[in-house]
Amino acid sequence: MVEIWDVALPIVSLVAFAFLTIPVFRVIRKSAHKTALTLAWFSTVFIVSGAAVANLTVKYYSLPSPQPFLNITLTDTPAAALSSAFMIDAISIYMAIMFIAVSAVVLFYSIFYLGSKERPSERYYAIMLMLTAALMGTVFSGDLLTLFIFWEAAAAGSAFLMIYKKTPVSLNSTLKYLIMIIIASAFIVFGLSIVYGLTGSLNFWTVRQTLMALSDKRLLLVAFIFIATGYAIEAAIVPFHFWLPDAYTAAPASSAAFLSALIDQGSYYVLIRVLIFILTPPSVLNWTFMLAVMAALTMIVGNLFALIQDDVKRLIANICVADVGYNLVGITSLTSLGLMGNLYFFLIGGITTALSFMAIGIINHYGFKTLEDFSGLGKKMPFVSLALVIAGLSFAGIPPFGGFMAKYLVFTAAIQANLSWLAVIGVLTSVLQTAYLFRLVNYMYAKKPKDETTIKEPKKLLIPILILAAAIVILGLYPQIVFNLIEPAIQQIQFIP
Amino acid sequence: MSYALLLIFLLPTLGVPFVYLTGKKSPKAAAILVALIAIANMALLFTTVPTVLNSPNHEYIESYYWIPILESEFTLFVDGISVSMAIITLVLIIAAALFSINYMEGKKNLAVYYSLLTLLSIGLVGVFITSNLLLFYFCWELMLVPAYFIIGGWGYRDPYRAAFKFFIFTHAGAVFVLLGIGAIYMVTGVTDMFQAQAALMAFPDIAKWILLALTAGFAVKMAVVPVHMWLPDAHSEAPSPMSALLSGVIISAGAYAILRLSLATVFPAVMGTVFGSDFMHGLAIFGVISAFFGSLIALVETDIKRIIAYSSIAHMGYVLFGLSLFPSAAVAGTVVITAAITGTVLHLLTHAVSKGLFFLSAGAIMHQTEARDIREMGGLAGKMPFTATASTTAALSIAGTPPFACFISEFLIFVGAFEVINTDGFFLLPTAFMLVATVISLAYSLRYLSHVFLGQAKSEGEKKILDVPNYMKLAMAILVILVIVLGIWPTFFIHLINTVQFI
Repeated sequence: MVEIWDVALPIVSLVAFAFLTIPVFRVIRKSAHKTALTLAWFSTVFIVSGAAVANLTVKYYSLPSPQPFLNITLTDTPAAALSSAFMIDAISIYMAIMFIAVSAVVLFYSIFYLGSKERPSERYYAIMLMLTAALMGTVFSGDLLTLFIFWEAAAAGSAFLMIYKKTPVSLNSTLKYLIMIIIASAFIVFGLSIVYGLTGSLNFWTVRQTLMALSDKRLLLVAFIFIATGYAIEAAIVPFHFWLPDAYTAAPASSAAFLSALIDQGSYYVLIRVLIFILTPPSVLNWTFMLAVMAALTMIVGNLFALIQDDVKRLIANICVADVGYNLVGITSLTSLGLMGNLYFFLIGGITTALSFMAIGIINHYGFKTLEDFSGLGKKMPFVSLALVIAGLSFAGIPPFGGFMAKYLVFTAAIQANLSWLAVIGVLTSVLQTAYLFRLVNYMYAKKPKDETTIKEPKKLLIPILILAAAIVILGLYPQIVFNLIEPAIQQIQFIP
Repeated sequence: MSYALLLIFLLPTLGVPFVYLTGKKSPKAAAILVALIAIANMALLFTTVPTVLNSPNHEYIESYYWIPILESEFTLFVDGISVSMAIITLVLIIAAALFSINYMEGKKNLAVYYSLLTLLSIGLVGVFITSNLLLFYFCWELMLVPAYFIIGGWGYRDPYRAAFKFFIFTHAGAVFVLLGIGAIYMVTGVTDMFQAQAALMAFPDIAKWILLALTAGFAVKMAVVPVHMWLPDAHSEAPSPMSALLSGVIISAGAYAILRLSLATVFPAVMGTVFGSDFMHGLAIFGVISAFFGSLIALVETDIKRIIAYSSIAHMGYVLFGLSLFPSAAVAGTVVITAAITGTVLHLLTHAVSKGLFFLSAGAIMHQTEARDIREMGGLAGKMPFTATASTTAALSIAGTPPFACFISEFLIFVGAFEVINTDGFFLLPTAFMLVATVISLAYSLRYLSHVFLGQAKSEGEKKILDVPNYMKLAMAILVILVIVLGIWPTFFIHLINTVQFI
């Protein structure tokens, strides 16, 4: 039986560890074995919270099949069902596992990445843990208010990661991001209040059922427009994507990796959960065409902007925008295949962007920023370049790398949903993507380096990078590992009350 | 042996690190290791031949657990056509690896080169021995990435530019294949090509689009005019062993895919309709255009490798013409393999061997003389007798003269064409044009031979030109023997090919 504590434990443990990190680092900093102790501390953190997630997973899957949508509240009173509720289903479990795993890799990377330059800031790690906890809360929440609180905590909190460097550029872009997030949350709160007024509840399934029975849909439309705009801003859907490339470029590489691999995926999750599952089942509002147009625009704009970039980090940041578009293709199709593609894309897309930001972080560290600077990098830094090539091939959707299966699933889903034109735009933009990624590869391998200095690649930083690169290849060759976790989620859609 | 085909995948995959480590110490040993892996794979393939010849379905299938949620199993299969293609592919890989020992001598990073060659061999053989569409696509793209880096890293002049062109063109083609595969999966719910074939019969309207998408995608790889632009650059700038593989295997894989997927899997759904016969006529027209375009440019090119590259375009034109003779109606539920199809598949094999030999011998000439313009050459026959013999064998085979390999396959294609003319008068004109094109191919072959080997040496070289080193000789000798044997006794492969029954 899954109790409330099983659900709360991952969140609570991460928050507790986040608070403990600061006093623990007081001790660690005085010790002689700083790095070893730091590693030991964070290993403990992730082993314990990972165990908490594993505990929940095992308990959830030992329930009789088909796995239910599990509503868990603090008390049994009807008032509690309105809000402050958790809801566990296969998607939440999958997202939680993904968040804890990817966050561990990114955090270990940032230990070495930030530690290599300056005094490592324990607050940075604490915030990463907090954000992971908030994301965990987001995927476990069972009503619109809980989800809103946890998600806004994650989205707004990530500003701390962006501003870490405190340069004028990062201040500027973080301010831009925060303003966008605040506008978005204002929109969402306004929309949610209308929904509450219409339905008298914020519980996912209650809202859904009330809305399906609704006869006058005008107010719902207003609410929908506000909520959709809010979440579109947060997910960086074109035309609300401008904050993303700025923010990711100005942030340190480890933050960009965290943002793209976790916060981004969280925003897609919220988009799917709230807009598709709850507010707009096809019988309530039919806005597939609009969503499809937005998906097409996001793919085209993201890729075109990436094409003209000279700064490689900014190029990858623009690919993140394009990835939003590919995810939207899956979301638009509203099929189980599309959902499967999305869930797989969350993991693979997250890993791939994280990998490229991490690799670029190392490269930037030596002062190489633009495409020109990348000339001849394949010889100077063979492993980092290899990782970047793997990430590039995965972005481009070339088998056997993970990105292929993700794109295959979302495009097939689009064909299945009679949106063949969207699939065609998708594959054409992905050819464009291949073109500019290979331009990058071309610079790295074909061009002669400007100087003959040799660079010794930092070994410690290579470990998380190679882990992610191996994950891309293995999950690409044998995606069934992930599909085993996704499959119950696919089966579950048909049981949505 | 029941794991033969799985081992064919595993051997090179597991071999890559060993090849890399060996290559660090001695590139020569790495090349021999690559060849040994290919020889072992060939032995494994031959163990399946008796099953293919004698079993009632004339096929050999292995199936493993892969992605059940997508109805996708790791299905490996060979029938007569695919086993023949795979065998010839492996022969070319062996020849290319041996040839590289001398040819690549002194170049940098050879450990990486041989590792990439091993990776490439997985994809090259893999496309022929799977019946699962997803796995097919995996192998299809796996041909691309190592090829890109081999061409770019060890090619001539501006190699990364040529490699980039190659990659983008063929990848753009491949995404249409992906759309086609996705559509097949979505319509039928299966990803096995044989099951898909039966299931697609119920959806002739969608099958039309799938057929067009797949064929267009494969045609790019096959370098049919007007999507041939990548081929001359990629083939001529690649290092010669890679050119041999590109021209021998990679473009043939495009033709094989059209036969296997477009024609055998999707086409039956539209068989007998007006669209079906128009589609075939279209293929024939593109075939004729490619044959003429390639031959005529080869006649005026002066770069030694570009001549051969354009001749590849011409020969893919023949193959496409041969494919267009695929029976457009099923008799009693099966498509009996006709002389034209036997000839086409045989032509893929013979062309692969001959063109591989042609590129290797051209590579040998470039390696020894360090020239690439045929106007600057001449009189090489006396100085490089072995290479001259090899080149002559290859050029005459490409020109379609008996007793060399390509003659018999071209002959079979034309026999098949005359059979088809009886039922479909449209093919009269293309067949006539094709006959003319073979004459042009003789012309450019002879022009090549006379410019390079006969006459007087143009520039009295400062350094003495010697004949090629031993490993190059060995590599070319293997192919010379094969060209002659296939020309005189093609029966083994014809038997194998004729066991195949479509539908």
